[in-house]
Amino acid sequence: MHTMSRGQARIVMSGAGKRFGTLEVFRDISLEVGEREVLAVIGPSGCGKTTLLRCLDGLIPLDEGEIAVEGERVEGPRQGVAVVFQHFGLFPWKTVFDNVAYGLKLAGASRAEIQEQIPEFIRLVGLAGFEHYYPYQISGGMQQRCGLARALAVKPRVLLMDEPFGAVDAQTREILQFEMLRIWEMRPTTMVFVTHAIDEAVLMGDRVLVLKGRPSSVHEIVEVDMPRPRDRGTLLQPRFAELREHVWGTLMADARRAERELAR
Amino acid sequence: MTAHALTAARTAANGSVLRAWIASPLFLKIAAGAVLLFAWEVTVRAFAPAYVAKPIAIARVFTTVISDPQFLAAAGATLGAVVGGLLISLVLGTAVGFAMGRIDLVERGLRYYVNSLFATPMVAILPLVTLWFGYSADARLAVVVFAAFFSIAVNACDGARSVPLEYLEVARSFRAPPRHSLFDIVFPSSLPYLLAGVRLAAGRALVAAVVAEFFISIPGLGYYILYNSRTFKHSEAFVAVIVLVAVGVSFEVLVNWLTRRYLPWARRD
Repeated sequence: MHTMSRGQARIVMSGAGKRFGTLEVFRDISLEVGEREVLAVIGPSGCGKTTLLRCLDGLIPLDEGEIAVEGERVEGPRQGVAVVFQHFGLFPWKTVFDNVAYGLKLAGASRAEIQEQIPEFIRLVGLAGFEHYYPYQISGGMQQRCGLARALAVKPRVLLMDEPFGAVDAQTREILQFEMLRIWEMRPTTMVFVTHAIDEAVLMGDRVLVLKGRPSSVHEIVEVDMPRPRDRGTLLQPRFAELREHVWGTLMADARRAERELAR
Repeated sequence: MTAHALTAARTAANGSVLRAWIASPLFLKIAAGAVLLFAWEVTVRAFAPAYVAKPIAIARVFTTVISDPQFLAAAGATLGAVVGGLLISLVLGTAVGFAMGRIDLVERGLRYYVNSLFATPMVAILPLVTLWFGYSADARLAVVVFAAFFSIAVNACDGARSVPLEYLEVARSFRAPPRHSLFDIVFPSSLPYLLAGVRLAAGRALVAAVVAEFFISIPGLGYYILYNSRTFKHSEAFVAVIVLVAVGVSFEVLVNWLTRRYLPWARRD
């Protein structure tokens, strides 16, 4: 049933591997992500989650295997793929409006199109009234709303989220998670959501990819068989707690061993 | 309340207003200035010959001097050389600095030369410049450019090198052509550095123009000061000094105002 609702594969990774010099980051990752699927990626810090995302965006090349998006091999940043960055990546000299319009402008949209379309995305992320503020004038949570609007404005078919709520405080993080779920329901796309928070991975993902080991590889893929739309109620369901415990156990067994090795 | 208590309250209120006024920065500035001017006037009157400049004498000749066509021509010549030299340095310095900041080969090739020339005292090359350009306004312009160019180039280079990688990655992710990013990202991101360079360059350019005029003897504020000092017209010379100070301060104020007005984001971090 789940495979059906995911739709056709939009991202296909086959035997993907990456190394920096002699350091092998990840190896042999083979996975498909459907056109209406959210794949959460979780793993201990330094396991190459962000590197995998950068490879998916074509910012850096793979060393082994292949990643294809919409049937085409990724060889550089593609039209239709947008990233929400961990540290927001907003340009301090541009206002909220101009930051949100950045991608659309580069895609060749006319001034009229920008004036017509951007306010919709600013409203969608709840930044109406802040169009003329500079990033330094708004909070971290609002800055990431801006980063999200910038990515959504190019109407991506693949949305890559690089620990998007990792740099905001805990309360803001929760608010943004539910905002993100609401927005995704309005415009479902392929989404790869990198996070180091277990709750977040289970809440967001249709599947959770657990990366582990050095070099890391696919340790487990956890099906999150919980209905959408998801909201705060999702967190209260017994199934959520079970899945969270399962992922926790998978990750922590490793973390404890690593700690013991360090102590030795 | 009795009439007596009312009067007492009013006096107390007046007293605190007066105290606040005395402690205000404006009052302190004016008071300190007045004390310095008074000390200057008294000292010169008591110990120095009559031709030595003193505040009242300077005030007396001030309007005559600054409405004198010859003085205005001199001021125009000096300021023209400073502004012209700064503009040339800004264009060339930004271009060279950005090339160094963004292209490793250029940086490795030029770094030693640019840094050495930045550290070279501009006064030291003055005699050589007169050999190349003659005793002319061109020589002055050359010295001004020499003084201003390197501080702008060095700062532009620093600015271009310190563009956060994150910004360039965002640009690449949104498929920005590299040339577009040079103007859209490298330039605005370097602006705070560039402005610091321009500020430094402006001070150096002003010094260069005045010193060049001392040495080359061509019409300008520097030469005006030199000539009037030698002919014992110290008050007139001092008016030119005041104008130079005003120019330096105005430039600083202008840059600050432009930064606040157009780069509000640059004042953070």
